Amino acid sequence: MLAPRAAIGLGVVLAWEVAARAGDPLLYVPPSRVLPALARLLALRSFPSLPEHLGLTLREILVAYVLAVGVGLAVGFVLGLWPELGRIYAPLLGALYAVPSVVWYPSLMLLFGLDAASKIAFGFLLGVYPIVVAVLAGVRQVSRELVTMARAFGAGRARVFTKVVLPSMLATLTGGLRAGLALTVVGVIVGEVLGSKAGLGYLINYAYGLLRTADYVALVLLTLGIVLAIDGAAVLAERRARRWT
Amino acid sequence: MPPGARTGADVAEAHIVVEGVTKRFETSSGPVLAVKDVSLAVARREFCTIIGPSGCGKSTLLAMIGGLVPPDAGTILIDGRPQPGPDPRRVALVFQDPGLLPWRTALDNIAFGLELRGVPRPDRRRIAGDLLGPLGLREFAERYPRELSGGMRQRVAIGRALALDSEIVLMDEPFGALDEQTRLLMGEWLLSVWTRARKTVVFVTHSLQEALFLSTRVVALTARPGRVKSVLDLPLPYPRDLESAELASFRAKLWGEIREESLKAMEP
Amino acid sequence: MKPRALQAVSVGVALLVWEGAARAGLVDPLFVPAPTAVAIALRRVLGEALPALGRTLLTALVAYALAVCLGVGLGLIIGARRYLGEVLSPFLIAAYGVPKILVLPWIILILGTGAAPAVLYGTLHGFFPVLLLVIGGVRDVDRSWLTVARAFGARPWQLYSRVILPAIVPAVLAGMRLGIVFALLGVLVVEMFAGVRGMGAELAARANAFQAPELFAATLLVSTVSIAIVLALDALGDRLSRWR
Repeated sequence: MLAPRAAIGLGVVLAWEVAARAGDPLLYVPPSRVLPALARLLALRSFPSLPEHLGLTLREILVAYVLAVGVGLAVGFVLGLWPELGRIYAPLLGALYAVPSVVWYPSLMLLFGLDAASKIAFGFLLGVYPIVVAVLAGVRQVSRELVTMARAFGAGRARVFTKVVLPSMLATLTGGLRAGLALTVVGVIVGEVLGSKAGLGYLINYAYGLLRTADYVALVLLTLGIVLAIDGAAVLAERRARRWT
Repeated sequence: MPPGARTGADVAEAHIVVEGVTKRFETSSGPVLAVKDVSLAVARREFCTIIGPSGCGKSTLLAMIGGLVPPDAGTILIDGRPQPGPDPRRVALVFQDPGLLPWRTALDNIAFGLELRGVPRPDRRRIAGDLLGPLGLREFAERYPRELSGGMRQRVAIGRALALDSEIVLMDEPFGALDEQTRLLMGEWLLSVWTRARKTVVFVTHSLQEALFLSTRVVALTARPGRVKSVLDLPLPYPRDLESAELASFRAKLWGEIREESLKAMEP
Repeated sequence: MKPRALQAVSVGVALLVWEGAARAGLVDPLFVPAPTAVAIALRRVLGEALPALGRTLLTALVAYALAVCLGVGLGLIIGARRYLGEVLSPFLIAAYGVPKILVLPWIILILGTGAAPAVLYGTLHGFFPVLLLVIGGVRDVDRSWLTVARAFGARPWQLYSRVILPAIVPAVLAGMRLGIVFALLGVLVVEMFAGVRGMGAELAARANAFQAPELFAATLLVSTVSIAIVLALDALGDRLSRWR
């Protein structure tokens, strides 16, 4: 599998190099110019304050995700374990998410300004939904027979929850947590690009505004790398968690 | 001379002639010989059952007769002509999984083969509609497969095969997924349809009971790789009494042939 | 009480609480206006917002149509060829999960501001869910249906028209339902980022001018239309899937 994929990757890079050289150097940056720009970026020469921006973005992601997990699990379990509530409020939640999420962002910017808070709020908003959905779906697919069996062996509500419900829904839950993380990251970055005073998204906007195209591409690649690293770490964590069951 | 032919003349008149057919499959654990040097002949309007233990290649053999899978060696002739591919005008198939298209009503499923052939809509609906009576599905024409029971779905699948009015119908364990009562009833129903429709049927099963109840001839295959072990003619009238002494002696004979092979098939 | 009634009651109660909180001064009206203020602002806003909404919806519709065509077309090709699907799968999943806004500045740089980048970006967003769901749908087609069709004399193009295409309708519909939200999202993002005329720019402008009631009213307008579109697609989907 690695060989054909590597071939595709290489092919894309080559095509990019050839195509970019043919165009306006202000707009089209071939890989041969991106690599030195990337080097300058990582050496902190193009943006000396890069670590502060990067740190801010990562902190925003962390806070937003912790909130999303906390609220998502709470809401998901309340709606899932009390189906009467679930039947009423889950569709309302679904309807709310039929709206393209970016619609809420201007309101968030009004409420929280251009600081980290609006990015955290937006990341939270995007990330919380997959978690709620995963919890609801996970609870629903827990086998009634298993629950009855556990009750017959004398397990109380709490033990039934920890010994039967949670393990049964672990796969669905971890999938939702992973999706939530990916969306939180997207939310924070989108928020930063659309309006902020600091952070990776802000830097990207800044470089683009000054037409420092090579630096812009380097920043994009750096951000892509970080996003993929975070997603990759989530996949590994998920695999580790699955192995416990 | 292929077993099952009574004389050389029979081979010439036989509807289906299978001669020295072999089939090999590539699996993840290496090549597997499914069927080895199988020869048999099926006469016109015969109800020929192929029986054998699991894995003996009977489904593969049927697929080859139906033109779905080419043999690695040997020939298969239908009416004296070879079959390069599926030919629904001559041979229609019924599988164990009814394989009904779930987005089509029962009627539209029966008409499926006709539709593929290009028969215009009113004609094919009429042909399919005429079959609903014999199929016992008159009230279910506009129902979807998920609303039908297992037995009904299989009847639709059989109707789909009959709609093409081919001379040969191949059936691969069509009642395998049904419960015993339904199987018995479906067997009786199938006989009534067959005697009226006068088709050549090749029927695959692993059930002794079905073989004895339904067929005019039974071909027993060995365990994998499948070869023809023996051929039993059942010149008994229909409907058959499963309790009769005559049938009991046939059963004893058949079980004697099959038991040994079934034991072999159970060994790892 | 029936769920629908309880939902309506819950929303009503929430609005009352919000109104009460606003009047009691618990929330700053500059940031969180009372529902009544929003309702009044809605009348004022309709004049400018409706044409902007129309423009956005039209752009989104074009982007959506392109996204669906590309998504279904490529989805059929990739889904039908197992090897291709396996090789490409990590690239596709990565592309789906990555913030596409990263390439937006570059798109604007090349295409300027106007309908073109909005359509392109909307298509980019709407294309992925359709593609991934159609690939999944094709992969899930029951092999026995194809065997049956072949046994009954189906030629290769008939396998597509009589079996594969009808079988993937639920997956296509699911993709289309996601696709419209994503395509609309893409168009709105471009409008907010580059000031392209449309609802996104409208919302951004109101936010920048601190016109809270107008902003909330405009947000309400867009949300309602979006929910209505999705509900309509859901109803359509249910109609076409009666056989499930």
